Amino acid sequence: MSSLANQLVRAEKEEIARAIRTLLGRPLVSRHDDPAAFDLIRKRRGPLIQWFDYFCGWRLVVEPRQGYARLVKTGPPGPRAASRPARRRRTTRAPFDRRRYTLLCLCSAELLTSPVTTIGMLARRVVQAAAVEPDVPAFDPVRNEERAAFVDAVKLLEHYGAVTAMDGVTEAYLGDEDAKVLYRVDTTRVIRLLAAPVPPSGARPPGEDGPAELTAEARYGGDEPTGTQRALWARHSLIRRLLDEPVVYRDELTPAQSAYAASLTGCRLLRRAAEEAGFVLEERAEGLLLVDPDAIATDTRFPDDGSHAKVAALLMLDLLVTSGPVTAGRLDAEAARLLRRFPQWARAYQSDGGGPRLAADALEVLTQFGLARRSGDQVAALPAAARYRVGRAVQEDS
Amino acid sequence: MAEPPRVPPEMFRFTSTERADLHTAVLHAFGEAGERLVTALTVDEVRERLRSAGWYAPVSEQDLAGTLKQLAGWGLLDVIFNHAGSFATAEEYERRNLQYALTRRGEAALTGMRHAMAALSSVGALQTAVLDALADRLEELDRLLRDPDPGRNRRIFTCLRELEGHLDGLRADIRGFNGELQRLLRVEGADVAAFHADLATFHEVKAATVAYLQEFVTSLERRGETIAAALEAVAGHGAGVLHARALDGADLPRMPGTDQATAWLAARAARWEALRAWFAPEDGSAPRVRRLHDVARRAIVSLLQVLDRITDSRRRSSSAAADFRTLARWFATAPGEDDAHRLWDAAFGLGSARHAHLGHADAELIPAGVPWAEAEPVEVSALLRSRGRTERMGRTGKVRDVAALKAGRRKRAEQERAELEAAWSALATTGAMRLSQLGKLDHDTFGRLLDLLGRALAERPDSTGFRRAVTSDGRVEIVLRTPEDGAVAVLRTPEGWFRGPDYLIDVRTLGETGLHGRAAGA
Repeated sequence: MSSLANQLVRAEKEEIARAIRTLLGRPLVSRHDDPAAFDLIRKRRGPLIQWFDYFCGWRLVVEPRQGYARLVKTGPPGPRAASRPARRRRTTRAPFDRRRYTLLCLCSAELLTSPVTTIGMLARRVVQAAAVEPDVPAFDPVRNEERAAFVDAVKLLEHYGAVTAMDGVTEAYLGDEDAKVLYRVDTTRVIRLLAAPVPPSGARPPGEDGPAELTAEARYGGDEPTGTQRALWARHSLIRRLLDEPVVYRDELTPAQSAYAASLTGCRLLRRAAEEAGFVLEERAEGLLLVDPDAIATDTRFPDDGSHAKVAALLMLDLLVTSGPVTAGRLDAEAARLLRRFPQWARAYQSDGGGPRLAADALEVLTQFGLARRSGDQVAALPAAARYRVGRAVQEDS
Repeated sequence: MAEPPRVPPEMFRFTSTERADLHTAVLHAFGEAGERLVTALTVDEVRERLRSAGWYAPVSEQDLAGTLKQLAGWGLLDVIFNHAGSFATAEEYERRNLQYALTRRGEAALTGMRHAMAALSSVGALQTAVLDALADRLEELDRLLRDPDPGRNRRIFTCLRELEGHLDGLRADIRGFNGELQRLLRVEGADVAAFHADLATFHEVKAATVAYLQEFVTSLERRGETIAAALEAVAGHGAGVLHARALDGADLPRMPGTDQATAWLAARAARWEALRAWFAPEDGSAPRVRRLHDVARRAIVSLLQVLDRITDSRRRSSSAAADFRTLARWFATAPGEDDAHRLWDAAFGLGSARHAHLGHADAELIPAGVPWAEAEPVEVSALLRSRGRTERMGRTGKVRDVAALKAGRRKRAEQERAELEAAWSALATTGAMRLSQLGKLDHDTFGRLLDLLGRALAERPDSTGFRRAVTSDGRVEIVLRTPEDGAVAVLRTPEGWFRGPDYLIDVRTLGETGLHGRAAGA
């Protein structure tokens, strides 16, 4: 029984679902970067803010005039895979290293002092800042690799709209220390880059198990939560994991989380959250996962032909699913066999030691998607890997 | 512009070979001897004097001979044969009668090396005394030039030499000091690392530098003006006159065939130009000393900034800047790259979520709680497994699909709209009527009627017993009243019967599209 009103409602639901997944994929959406996505979020900000707050306790800040929306995504607690590095804004998309992260932070601190700056002045201030900061190695812009790291940091800030080049391009600094680039600084946006609920300057340095103290949220009562806080935490932490990670296995959940996931309310809420965000919730005996058919809420896809490692990962997954846990050496041999079988393929790996390298990169892909795990010398497929096992049609084909 | 100076080839080769130590020591020995006015040395004498040059290690006969030969080969030493001596064997001849002396080039090389070592170890300092001395000498020159007595020429010469000496000193000092200052500003990293345990010392060094600079800068302007004024006074007599009288006073040795005076005068003129460039350029451009002023002032500002920052960093404010600096420290000290990535994720939360994008065509067919191994696998492109590619056409095809889908949807929506209007018009009453009067209805219209009745019954009756409701799009209004006689209406549709209270209803279309029901009702 459809009507115009129903269609409007459906359109609105679709828009909200798309906006939710956009924000999950990019927690900072800027007008200058993606006007359409920003406009959508701006238009639907009311329900979006409510949705994120209700389901996962994340704050969504939409600044219609400043032109950005920031989902303050506090990671679920506990050990996190180091699989979401900042990436250089270059074609290689190589992850940041410690030096680049350090420079990014120093730049951010220095940018807060003035609304306009040039790349040379910023570099000079970073030199001074690095000099007085204990444990931070000196920054020497005379050296090429230091300038490259600095440019990567500035470019990432530019990508997030924290600085805008009004004259000149940042890359010019790579070749010439005296390059003239003028920036306008959006200081509030610089501050918004920080998402940790605890200000780092007041927290203890990260210990053995990572920066745990940074992500402690007072809202859930800390060490002595009330019953309500505990229930809220179970809900939020579970949904956060589900929204952020490719697969959530039941045996990785805390007792409170698995109790919540098994409860009637929990089930209903998970389904509602998935449906409203435009995901398909897959509930299996071993765990849960969300499928995003449009691949909006993901930085990378699998299975996909995006890289040779991904293609190899799929083929190795077949081996892992059919032959059970295998040794790492067996995977290396399999990769080498693939390379021999398709000599025109994956040229970057067609050299000495290419097999083990390809196997390692493929395993990395599988680990990122929660499909395989390496323990010691053994590599085993995880339950969700069965989703991609070879179907009958393909077997006939090959 | 003058060309960059060209050093004669191999002049400084002796400093860069494997035997550089011995070579340097030998040259030093010659230098030492030269100061004692001994110009030529035999091999034995060289060996003796090596000790005074600071070389104590034993040197074989062969090594020393080789060294001397090598130095002579580079044009730094001359071999002189002393034929006056007596000799019996070839060995003795070499030992006693071959003498070595520094060539001009050798002297220059030695001076250059000494100068380089001195420049390396010199302390950059700016002395106001030099400025005062410059002013004094200029004033004296002015006085001397007023007196036309040629007897003054000797004093004019020495005075000019002093002046030039002071200028050279000033230039060297400023170069050295500026270099040191820039290094101080540049390599703060190393400084801080060294001073970190003792921030107070660091503080002191910088603060002392700032005080020193401030003092220098305040007096610089006044002194610069004094010098400029004195310079103008001397220039009033004419630089040519000054130099001519100085030349007279210099009393250069007269050598036939060489014109020393011209070269000498040219050198004086160049020095004079340099002096003017520093304090009062003739072309009216800014004197160089002003530039020194700028450099010093900028250095003061930078140094003060650094000092501020140190105090600031100790204050440990909880501002955002402090947060970022703290993070910078943590990143710099992270044990590994992975820890840095984790810290980035925790502190900034800018990472993307990650999800599967392949799903089942109809996910609802698979019940929840089935193990993954038993559920149908999702469909993965067969090409991906066999060729390592996914079908690219899928994407473009999808775009076309969407357009078609949209068109289809729009068409369907229009059709639904039309059906809706038709249904409403079928239901629209010409004023109040009994439900039973509708009699026979098609199934869709009946569905809409039920929807309307439901809406009306959900409202509370007003004081006159009427219930009013509008559809969600606000286009149709229904007014309903429960029959007082308790009559029962029976409606027939192709799919069955409906039996219910025989309500009194009045359905009106409120939209702009005037349907006949509305027209009739109005």
